[in-house]
Amino acid sequence: MRTANRNALTNRLWESRHFYLFISPFFVLFAVFGLYPLLYSLFLSFTKYDGLTPPISVGLENFVTLFQDEDFYTSLWNTLVIGAYHIPPMFALAFLFANILNSTKLRGLGLFRMAIFVPCITPMVVIAIVFSLLFSTQNGLLNWMWRGATGLLPWGPFAPIKWIESENWSKISVSIVLVWRWTGYNMVLMLAGLQGIPKDYYEAATIDGASRWQQMYSITMPLMRPTFVFCTIMSLIGTTYMFEEVFVMTLGGPGTSSTNFGVFLFNAAFTDFRFGYASSAAYVVAVLVFVLSLVVLRWRRPVT
Amino acid sequence: MSTALRIWTAAKQVLSYIALLAAAAVFLFPFYWLSISAFKTRDQLFQIPPQFIPHPAVLENFVNVFRETTLARAFLNSCIIAGGYVSLAVFLCSLGGYAFAKYRCAPGREKLFAFVLGTMMIPTAVTMIPVFVVLARLDLVNTYWAMILPGAASAFGIFWMRQYIDANVPDDLLAAARIDGCGEFGIFWKVVLPVCKPALAALSILLLIGSWNNLMWAFVVLRTPDMYSMPLVIYLLQGEFRTPYGMVMAGGLLATLPLVVAFVVFQRAFIQGMTAGALKF
Repeated sequence: MRTANRNALTNRLWESRHFYLFISPFFVLFAVFGLYPLLYSLFLSFTKYDGLTPPISVGLENFVTLFQDEDFYTSLWNTLVIGAYHIPPMFALAFLFANILNSTKLRGLGLFRMAIFVPCITPMVVIAIVFSLLFSTQNGLLNWMWRGATGLLPWGPFAPIKWIESENWSKISVSIVLVWRWTGYNMVLMLAGLQGIPKDYYEAATIDGASRWQQMYSITMPLMRPTFVFCTIMSLIGTTYMFEEVFVMTLGGPGTSSTNFGVFLFNAAFTDFRFGYASSAAYVVAVLVFVLSLVVLRWRRPVT
Repeated sequence: MSTALRIWTAAKQVLSYIALLAAAAVFLFPFYWLSISAFKTRDQLFQIPPQFIPHPAVLENFVNVFRETTLARAFLNSCIIAGGYVSLAVFLCSLGGYAFAKYRCAPGREKLFAFVLGTMMIPTAVTMIPVFVVLARLDLVNTYWAMILPGAASAFGIFWMRQYIDANVPDDLLAAARIDGCGEFGIFWKVVLPVCKPALAALSILLLIGSWNNLMWAFVVLRTPDMYSMPLVIYLLQGEFRTPYGMVMAGGLLATLPLVVAFVVFQRAFIQGMTAGALKF
């Protein structure tokens, strides 16, 4: 009886051999570059390792050091501040543009969508250098305009803004680049969300005498929740792990004023070669981001 | 009454146009600045007031960037890396996605797929260091493989292809091909793939953008100038004291143009590819 069962299973496996054959290349590659690294980096987080000499087990030392590392906290704080600076204006703009694209029947809207979207497909290193020219304190375009505009005031012109050369402004400069780069992406997602709302809801509301604002508040906003939640989570993850935006434009500085977690991690790993320490930081923040995403996800309640 | 209404509608349209044009101009401005800066001399670049149309427009930056850097070679390297990565990843993902979508009787299919979905949540930051160690042990640092292999097993790609094949490839089509004596791989290659062109295009574009623009990983694994990718060549032009901005802008323009031109031509597929992730939500 047991032999018969085993034969039946063997037969089923044999009949499905193409399934296993077809998924195996993926799983082989995944085992080498996904699963093994995931476990190995957990192991490394309890060691001291520079990539040359074998890892030395240090127990929880990396985590203790991490929780006392001022630069680590600064990088988390900077991540939050940059998020707080750029996400609200970006969402507002994206939502405004999405509504315009959704409601008006103008010619040439395709071109407009293209113009807003194109930043997010361009090489960040190039864009970061262009922006650092625009932000330049002495001869950047933005400060030239600033000087011109404030020169009209009787007590002007004001001193140039040190966009990427001062600790106060560096996070704002990074945020401006992020708004520029990701508004179009969010706009397209929000447009898809708006188009997914059935038209009859609005028709029924209009018949009931609801104003445009009331419709926005009680139909559009609740039904757009899943989209907003998705956009928020993507932005959270993006801001935490972004690298080139900061590394190319400000190198995380001045000081550590614009170092987000992505740059902190890169420096720990590939500038200082503290592989064990960087692994523990990566794990801690991955858990943190995961928990934070779950919290945001709770907001995505089904709407009745 | 109706005249007033028509004027109001027309005025609203004009205002919307102006707002949209202004917004588009702001978003396109950095590209404009990049393009004109590539044609400026060093003095022109830092001139106050700035020149909005370079006068005279010079070509020396383009000549210099090819003469003094490995940009031409880097263009070739970037093409090989992006081409190799996209082909490999799309092949693996569509083959795996097809298996997950259509071999419904295979034991363990559900569990394996749930496992693949779970791996989508692993941030690359966590695996970055061990991947580098693995590449070093396999002696693949400073090769194209170091840029191609690590991301090729894309869990999202498998998920994306499985969803599309599940919804768009009818079982009758596969059955008919089997009756005609087509082999299992032949069915995938000749019957399934041609039906999946839109999904393949979107996935390819998503992967292509990531690969073409990637600076960080190139910075970590590419070591010699003959292996540098385009973003890396441009990044390394930045000097500690004096950056040849004209050359940076010329090289940057050349690195940016291929994707932008492709985007203008295949706009729909690009937007679908970039926003593909939202579907899993």
